[in-house]
Amino acid sequence: MTPEQYYADPENWGSYQYTSMVDIVNNFTYMYVGNDKQLNNVRRTEIIFYTKEAVKLLNFDAKVNPLKAIELTVGDDLKFVLPSDYVNYVRISLEVNGVLRQLFENRQANTAVGYQQDANGDLIFDINGNVMTEISALDLARVNPSQYSGPGPYDGYYGWLLDDEWYFGYSIGPKYGVDPSEMTLGPTFRVNNGVIDFSSGMANQSLVIEYISDGIVSDDKIIVHKFAEEFVYRYIKWKLLNNKYGIPAYEKKMARDEKQAEFRNAKLRLSDIHPSRLLMSLRGRSRQIK
Amino acid sequence: MIDNVRNTVLSIISKDNRGYITPEEFNLFAKQAQMEIFEGYMYDYNNAISKQNARMINDGYANILNKLEETIDIFRPAPSTLTYASLNFLLPSDIFFINSVIYNNTTEVEKAPYNILNLLSSNMTAPSTLYPVYTQGANKIKVYPSTIIADITLDYIRIPADPKWTWSTLSGGEPLFNQGATDYKDFELPPVDEPRLVVKILQYAGISIREAEIVQAAKTEEIQDKQEKN
Repeated sequence: MTPEQYYADPENWGSYQYTSMVDIVNNFTYMYVGNDKQLNNVRRTEIIFYTKEAVKLLNFDAKVNPLKAIELTVGDDLKFVLPSDYVNYVRISLEVNGVLRQLFENRQANTAVGYQQDANGDLIFDINGNVMTEISALDLARVNPSQYSGPGPYDGYYGWLLDDEWYFGYSIGPKYGVDPSEMTLGPTFRVNNGVIDFSSGMANQSLVIEYISDGIVSDDKIIVHKFAEEFVYRYIKWKLLNNKYGIPAYEKKMARDEKQAEFRNAKLRLSDIHPSRLLMSLRGRSRQIK
Repeated sequence: MIDNVRNTVLSIISKDNRGYITPEEFNLFAKQAQMEIFEGYMYDYNNAISKQNARMINDGYANILNKLEETIDIFRPAPSTLTYASLNFLLPSDIFFINSVIYNNTTEVEKAPYNILNLLSSNMTAPSTLYPVYTQGANKIKVYPSTIIADITLDYIRIPADPKWTWSTLSGGEPLFNQGATDYKDFELPPVDEPRLVVKILQYAGISIREAEIVQAAKTEEIQDKQEKN
């Protein structure tokens, strides 16, 4: 690639930091597999599989790729379908006037699928024998809370009227007897079966979700940072040796130790410690504490 | 080379009027002998690799492995493009061993394991145009993904062509060698294997004319040859 080609296409910018999976598979096949090497009779599909495993491991444990962040508006149903390459969220924030307010997961915020029943209480099935479903009363109540109007600090708030008692999702002021680990000033959410369910009050609100992916969405897009490239080779080698018959235990152990050492090296290199950043951090010593 | 081999064989078996083999018999024995030696290259190659891994093969002229590779490569024609028909790519009729299958001149197509269905449904290693695979059938291969219907090139080792000692006229009751015949075909093995061809043909000829001494002598020669090489 000439410098002109490099600068012309934004997709090329910074690409020199990375090695593609195609190159890794080719390099490994040529340099580590052969009749005069520790590994022979290895199928390429095995190398591809373990390369992807290594990339996943790097994404989960060494955070080699930057976090993905997307902004969107929550619909009236208070549900947000997870991104196609979502593995786990790092932070979900409510965006208010350019400021992000972190939201917290509330595992007690329940949701359920409603099964349709006839007048006798029996389940209704479709022609394929599957139970017919509907939005549960629980979800409807969460999506469509009632507005409380009456005395007290909750006047005008949305809540739920159950057994002549009003319940509110969140509020201000002291609450006695509640679990502090579940208390938060703001809407809450819960990740459920491919969607994020939000508490009431999030409808039509803008939010930012930061999440991690495993980095293996498409074969031709899989890349590995050069700092971690050696680890990927050692990981594949270890996995292949480990799964073969007739390999002495000491060879497997050596391969595993090499893999571990390279993983530590990769994490150190990827930790991105620059002297200038260290200097700025050390300047924090002069901060006055009241 | 084929005329030399025949003359040597005849001179040995004709000694003391033991017997005679016709040109047709010689051609049959020559074909068998060539195939046997050719197939033996693969076993020799495998043994040489084991010796190399035991650090028993040295460099330079002592590198038997390289020599064997060069010998086998004699039977490696230029890669050819395969024809697509009825969802398969047709293999050449003289194929002995597939070296590699290449897609689009850039991507190697890997031979798939027998449980292709598992591979096809894999979420991690399903074949793609980036990493295609093939399965082999009788004189054909099937390439996955099935969207690949062209640009498949085959690099292979072929079976040696059948040798044929040809003649046209008789001279003193003996057929006279005619190298210019259209169906003439010399041995394809390297000249260094001429003694092995003679020994092999002698074994077949000895059995044919029921001469146990010739068979025994040929076998002894073959065993000695193997021992020297090991």
